Amino acid sequence: MIEPSTHLRDKYAIAGAGHSRLGKVPGVSAQGLLEEAMLNALDDAGLTTRDVDGLICRGPDEIYTFHQIMGERLGIDAGFSTTLTNGGASQVMGVALAAMAIDAGMASCALVGYGRDNWSRVHANKENHMRGSGRPQQMYGMEFGPEFGYYGAIAAHGFGAQRHMHDYGTTREQFGAISLAFRKHALNNPDAVMQKPLTMEDYLNGRMIVEPFSLFDCSLQTDAAGAVIVTSAERAKDLRQKPVLIKGFGTGNNISGWFNGDNMTHTGAIQSGQTAYAMAGVGPEDIDYAQIYDCFTYMVLVQLEDYGFCKKGEGGEFVASGALDLDGALPTNTSGGQLSEAHVEGMLQVVEGVRQLQGIYGPERQVPNAEIGLVSGHGGNTVCESTLILGAA
Amino acid sequence: MSDDYAKAIPVTGPESVPYWEGAKKHQLVIQKCGKCGHHWFPPSTVCTGCGSRDINWVRSSGKGKVFSFVVFHRLYHKGWDGEVPYVVGIIELEEGARMLSNVIGIPVEDVKCDMPVEVFFEDATDTLTLPKFKPV
Ligand SMILES: [Zn+2]
Repeated sequence: MIEPSTHLRDKYAIAGAGHSRLGKVPGVSAQGLLEEAMLNALDDAGLTTRDVDGLICRGPDEIYTFHQIMGERLGIDAGFSTTLTNGGASQVMGVALAAMAIDAGMASCALVGYGRDNWSRVHANKENHMRGSGRPQQMYGMEFGPEFGYYGAIAAHGFGAQRHMHDYGTTREQFGAISLAFRKHALNNPDAVMQKPLTMEDYLNGRMIVEPFSLFDCSLQTDAAGAVIVTSAERAKDLRQKPVLIKGFGTGNNISGWFNGDNMTHTGAIQSGQTAYAMAGVGPEDIDYAQIYDCFTYMVLVQLEDYGFCKKGEGGEFVASGALDLDGALPTNTSGGQLSEAHVEGMLQVVEGVRQLQGIYGPERQVPNAEIGLVSGHGGNTVCESTLILGAA
Repeated sequence: MSDDYAKAIPVTGPESVPYWEGAKKHQLVIQKCGKCGHHWFPPSTVCTGCGSRDINWVRSSGKGKVFSFVVFHRLYHKGWDGEVPYVVGIIELEEGARMLSNVIGIPVEDVKCDMPVEVFFEDATDTLTLPKFKPV
């Protein structure tokens, strides 16, 4: 039994957030994109690289000890530094780890970020384009998959979507409601890659990739990076930007496997959410907005259930009700998310989660009276989850 | 059997040799715990049910059901050119272990979760046989 931890609640804060150019950014490496985001985050806080003594990254997966490459490029020595390899759960976890490292006295001001040049990699050659991936083949399973024509994250997540449809009667129209809601948000975000409205007819006529997912169920392939600064709530008060408090965080990892038990319909978000809620001293009813990891539409629906925003099996009705809109019950992925803004495996959702509480947006994008937000990270081949609950200072 | 087999050839890990050797003899073999009776897949050196090291390879009935499935419409590998759409399923064997394979012998639009299936063996090359599944 894990005891709830509350001593970190509101003790640490995010003092600044930034992102790089998003979309097709040829001629810039993943490292260059990440530097761009990190410098923007430092500017946001009114800090420079000289103030940083903690560095947590996730790099292109095939680069060994990526944080060392970034430290060298930025000219930073750090009391605490590491590269995380937990897939899309790494980015939210990086923020949690920064707070823990500062609390343990190993750093005082940490940069957390991730950049990827995925559009450039996927379009670098025909082989990558056919595989739909910029990562080397060697990083994937070499038996019990490829010999059966099983490739890619779309199929892995598709199994979960199919089983959810079977168990709960969830429909493709309900998945479509998620795509449509996030596209509406993207239209109010000038930095978002997707700037054309999306209708249900467009969604249903979308080219089928791996059924039950069509083109519009799948997140974007983009060059992009995001970064945030974590420091004590006390220190953040004296910096340029309004501090955003880290109220709670959690993780949950169904690493016994996506195919095991009912893991594909009851995800790591259940435990991750419970841990984060307990630390923050809040429940789903207190959350004013959410930034939910949206690699694929289905993952939004199942995480909304697992975080307790609706009952298990009722995610379809919840998303179809308009709940995700800016004036809905739970405004979600207010930047357009990975389906319509850009895809940096959750890092941009941390950035957007912070900015909503900095209160920097006009009424077209600002969640009215936002005080508490939830950010989720999901990945590691679909079984790892991390959760961050942020609060206004 | 064919000399110009264009699909991916699995790179076999040391723990899975008995599985592939069994397939060559048209037998589906999986691991069973000598202590608690649990069956599991993919192969490992410990029972995933109880943690025991008492592991035996046993023959599966080859019968099971489709726990979930996806239909590939997009081509990810040139070896599948001309075969899309095709079904990749997670098969739950009667013994409880789940494994990934193709579901064949049924129109793709008729495949359903929980549909009963049974194993058959496809000799892909002289040294590779793949366990695949068809409706009962
Ligand atoms: Zn056992």
